[in-house]
Amino acid sequence: MTRHPSELALEAYLLDGDASPAAAHVAQCEHCRARVARMEREGEHFRRFVLPATLDSVVEKNAPRRRSPWVWVLAAAPAAAAVALFFSLRPGEPPEGYTGEKGGMSLVAYVNAPGGAKTIDEGEAVRPSAALRFTVGAAGHCNLWIVSVDETAQVSRIYPAEGGVGAKISGNRVTLPGGAVLDGRPGLERFYGVCTPDPVTYDKVVQCVRDAVQTAADVRKGPALSGLPNGSRQASLLVEKRP
Amino acid sequence: MQAGGRVLDPRQRVAELYKTYGPAIYRRCLRLLADTEAARDATQEVFGKLMRDARKLESRESALPWIYRVATNHCLNLRRNAGRRGEEALPDLEMAAPESPDLVPERQLAQRVLERFDAQTQAVAIGVFVDGMEHEEVAQALGISRRTVARKLQRFVGNARKYLTRSAP
Repeated sequence: MTRHPSELALEAYLLDGDASPAAAHVAQCEHCRARVARMEREGEHFRRFVLPATLDSVVEKNAPRRRSPWVWVLAAAPAAAAVALFFSLRPGEPPEGYTGEKGGMSLVAYVNAPGGAKTIDEGEAVRPSAALRFTVGAAGHCNLWIVSVDETAQVSRIYPAEGGVGAKISGNRVTLPGGAVLDGRPGLERFYGVCTPDPVTYDKVVQCVRDAVQTAADVRKGPALSGLPNGSRQASLLVEKRP
Repeated sequence: MQAGGRVLDPRQRVAELYKTYGPAIYRRCLRLLADTEAARDATQEVFGKLMRDARKLESRESALPWIYRVATNHCLNLRRNAGRRGEEALPDLEMAAPESPDLVPERQLAQRVLERFDAQTQAVAIGVFVDGMEHEEVAQALGISRRTVARKLQRFVGNARKYLTRSAP
């Protein structure tokens, strides 16, 4: 019989018995079957007693911080909107599979500043924990998602905050209820606004962002998202979170 | 991250990773701390450390050795700190079944003097005597060379014998 597999080898066996080189040994070795049985009992103890008691706190501590709702400064909105610069889809050839409409959508972000709300230019620095709000321009009716992606390719949901599909909007310029508070971590973050003719799920939008943005360079460049339904429109805006 | 063909939001992703690897972390902590309450606390702390570089958890091949390394170092620190603070000693480690009866005295030796050595030497000794790993396996799991494993183990056994000889009545 071969040498007894180590604890580490048995862990691999427990995760995927079929692929484990230890499987043949375990099948023949009573001592190792007893070790595996004990490890399974310990795993069961974790699942029955430790996991239910600790899952929420572990997720809370280790998931990236969610952006909290932000109260609009309604009084400042019209003035700010009047001087807003609109950021439409960045110029350049769209990637293969791209079905969005160039120039068919605008995404404007504002940040509070002394003297009132201020629009954020592409690539402009803001405080890492700045509170942002958004105005979207998209003629006609569509279903809107706004998400952001940071340098670690972490995608965050911005709008709508709840629900399984994008929010229905209509009108040339829509000021969104709620806003976003940045996560406090310095670095680049790109916001994508996506407007689709028919509702799409958040998972679908996340997949499109993950396919397009994988590195910090991608975040800076802001490639157009491909894989969206025909007739979709999109726009993006880069901010730099700087202390 | 994609898991099982689904795109997960960050909270779901953390929960999935914890459900997948939590049992392995817990077992490792339980093996080194021999106390369910201490292992439960340590599991959460170790998972927090692993999540600082969560991409390493995306491949099972790379995840397990990394979990082994982080959990081992964390739990050995807990054992050492408990000893320094004069807290009630954690239970002795359970040694792996020896391949040969010749190794029994070395395992007993390891148990008695382990905490007198630096963290990396302890991790090497634990890998060989507690977990029953080959030198190559210890080297891979701890991210050091096989030569370093052999050298640290040789020094560990030699110094442990000297220590026991000196402390014998």
